[in-house]
Amino acid sequence: MAGGPPKALPSTGPHSLRDMPHPLAGSSSEEAMGGDSTPSPDLLMARSFGDKDLILPNGGTPAGTSSPASPSSLLNRLQLDDDIDGETRDLFVTVDDPKKHVCTMETYITYRITTKSTRVEFDLPEYSVRRRYQDFDWLRNKLEESQPTHLIPPLPEKFVVKGVVDRFSEEFVETRRKALDKFLKRITDHPVLSFNEHFNVFLTAKDLNAYKKQGIALLTRVGESVKHVTGGYKLRSRPLEFAAIGDYLDTFALKLGTIDRIAQRIIKEEIEYLVELREYGPVYSTWSALEGELAEPLEGVSACIGNCSTALEELTDDITEEFLPVLREYILYSDSMKSVLKKRDQVQAEYEAKLEAVALRKEERPKVPADVEKCQDRMECFNADLKADMERWQNNKRHDFRQLLVGLADKNIQYYEKCLMAWESIIPLLQEKQETK
Amino acid sequence: MEQAPPDPERQLKPAPLEPLGGPGAVLEAAAGEETEGTREDSSGVDTMTGNDFWLKKIEISVSEAEKRTGRNAVNMQETYTAYLIETRSVEHADGQSVLTDSLWRRYSEFELLRNYLLVYYPHVVVPPLPEKRAEFVWHKLSADNMDPDFVERRRIGLENFLLRVASHPVLCRDKIFYLFLTQEGNWKETVNETGFQLKADSRLKALNATFRVKNPDKRFTELKHYSDELQSVISHLLRVRARVADRLYGVYKVHGNYGRVFSEWSAIEKEMGDGLQSAGHHMDVYASSIDDILEDEEHYADQLKEYLFYAEALRAVCRKHELMQYDLETAAQDLASKKQQCEELATGTVRTFSLKGMTTKLFGQETPEQREARIKVLEEQINEGEQQLKSKNLEGREFVKNAWADIERFKEQKNRDLKEALISYAIMQISMCKKGIQVWTNAKECFSKM
Repeated sequence: MAGGPPKALPSTGPHSLRDMPHPLAGSSSEEAMGGDSTPSPDLLMARSFGDKDLILPNGGTPAGTSSPASPSSLLNRLQLDDDIDGETRDLFVTVDDPKKHVCTMETYITYRITTKSTRVEFDLPEYSVRRRYQDFDWLRNKLEESQPTHLIPPLPEKFVVKGVVDRFSEEFVETRRKALDKFLKRITDHPVLSFNEHFNVFLTAKDLNAYKKQGIALLTRVGESVKHVTGGYKLRSRPLEFAAIGDYLDTFALKLGTIDRIAQRIIKEEIEYLVELREYGPVYSTWSALEGELAEPLEGVSACIGNCSTALEELTDDITEEFLPVLREYILYSDSMKSVLKKRDQVQAEYEAKLEAVALRKEERPKVPADVEKCQDRMECFNADLKADMERWQNNKRHDFRQLLVGLADKNIQYYEKCLMAWESIIPLLQEKQETK
Repeated sequence: MEQAPPDPERQLKPAPLEPLGGPGAVLEAAAGEETEGTREDSSGVDTMTGNDFWLKKIEISVSEAEKRTGRNAVNMQETYTAYLIETRSVEHADGQSVLTDSLWRRYSEFELLRNYLLVYYPHVVVPPLPEKRAEFVWHKLSADNMDPDFVERRRIGLENFLLRVASHPVLCRDKIFYLFLTQEGNWKETVNETGFQLKADSRLKALNATFRVKNPDKRFTELKHYSDELQSVISHLLRVRARVADRLYGVYKVHGNYGRVFSEWSAIEKEMGDGLQSAGHHMDVYASSIDDILEDEEHYADQLKEYLFYAEALRAVCRKHELMQYDLETAAQDLASKKQQCEELATGTVRTFSLKGMTTKLFGQETPEQREARIKVLEEQINEGEQQLKSKNLEGREFVKNAWADIERFKEQKNRDLKEALISYAIMQISMCKKGIQVWTNAKECFSKM
């Protein structure tokens, strides 16, 4: 069962549909829970998430169980994520439980994807599969292919740019897990993308690799037709509203890039500050050893500075792990959105070109040829999808950034609260009258 | 209670000048504690009998600093800063103060005063002057002596120095000090006329004594060791603190960039715009708050620096002891050798080498009369030597007693002052944390309205 030692492969081998018990066939799930060795699918009942020990090299704690003692952080943990649309959800997807797999050829991490749904598109109410980054990448490509008129959420960066970062470090894996979770949740929330066949397979298939190899093209009508649009057409001018979107995305990405650089600079300065603090505190200790009456006060100050140093380290770690990745995600997002805009331009260009060609043919037919009509159709669909997605994106972006920046402010507040507590606690020590001596 | 007329000798009879006000409550408390009650004058040089206490209290302040130009000793034009020293006497009853003296002094005159005090009160831990040149600066602070911030901090430091001297039970009675506060013209000449420079022990002598003394008082040896360590640790602390200040400055200032970019970003946003814009403003506030914070911290650094320099004063007292002890040991040794010489002459045995012995061997025995004469000379010398040794011993013991009393006083003062300094430093940190919380809470509110 999941929760045991890392398996060599994420899947337990291909099963034919016949082997899978019918969902209404009694307590099969309970049997599966019992850990029997029959070739029944690996079904898991609802389990408490997040409390399992991750089998990682450094043996860390699962996400969301940090315990800063400051008041504001406690408040934040009590706040629930607001439901964006408030509508009743019928699909829930979670990414957790990263595990390291060591094989002869390679080492990689898989994540557990748990799906709960009442939708008819899902044969079973619950699924649990394991996927690796490659699989997510595949999914995203498939979505882009099959839903070209929609904005596909970004994945966290594929390659680690700085050679210093350890791909298997707890922090890196956790950051990635959160991003992958976000990725799937965004798709889940999308009224069109969440019904995509590839998405379904991704969530449910025991052997994804087999499915990938089959290469079944389950393209939608629009997808198929858009696939065949060549890059031969040049758009004369983008309609105002899409031009505005394009301009917005350009400036948006620019500003995010600047914020990213500023945040990195701040972290750099804070780390340098930390280095000095780590030398500063101990000097008070050294001094304390020389003194009599002043020994305790000086030692107290030394300890206090030490506490502040630790708090600062936590702050910089937090910003690195939680703030920067989201910024970068949105930069990637706006990049992919810009390319969708370009595709839209293509479609419009094709339509306009064909329309022009018809007009030039000087035929007196009042009715427009079928293929031009098709183009127009395509264009209008695209425009509609894109507009809807943009609005959705704007809403989500607002929510995400609100959360992100509030989170940033919170981390800074927590840092200062920790320091405040440290300094306030030594005031009585400093004011203490020494009876001896 | 009348004020006794100024003593022709360097000591004055009137009670110590009680300083009021000044840069810190600490000094007031210290002064109050020291001058209240009957403090025995422990200088031993001039015993204080019949102290006349003034009803009035004295306020000393270095109230202004002014740039001046003049000609220096080699007739070259120079720019220097002059400081205005004002002395006020305060009526007990109504607390009104009347300006009694006001004059201008420059840093070199303060130095002269201190050097004089060092020579005439070697058993006292003489308060230090603020630093001559700016050291331990972090990058934003100027190392320029003419910089107004430096001048201002120096002004405070000089005032502090005067208040320390004025509240010292021994130093406050010094005439030269009194004249420093009251007699503008001619003061330098008066100081030099005391011939104190001649009385000063040479550095070489002191160094020699340090290496050769055999039996110094263990307490002084330990104290010297302590003062070395103290100097080393406070220097280190000040250096690192300056670097910490530098880095902290950088952290705060970079946040100012957030202000700018949030503002630019808000221009393209509809609903998010206001929240971003106002949050950006708070980031600007945050960035600019560091200037005041670090300015306050300089005061803490100055307090540490005072004790850094005090360590040197402690060492000076220890050196004086070593010198006196070495002097004593040398005199004792000298006396012992003379006694032995005398004994040998009297008994005819030659154990010690002497020139006379050599010449006797070379040129023949001396006559009994010659020997008698020599013995007599030696006996006189021995007598003198014994007297000298006795007085040196006494001197030495007095010195140790008085010095140690002042050292104990100093220790208490140091513990008090440094505790206060640490408390005020902690309070500064607390204030900084609270400001940080405030700013980020404001920013958070703006963000949550996005």
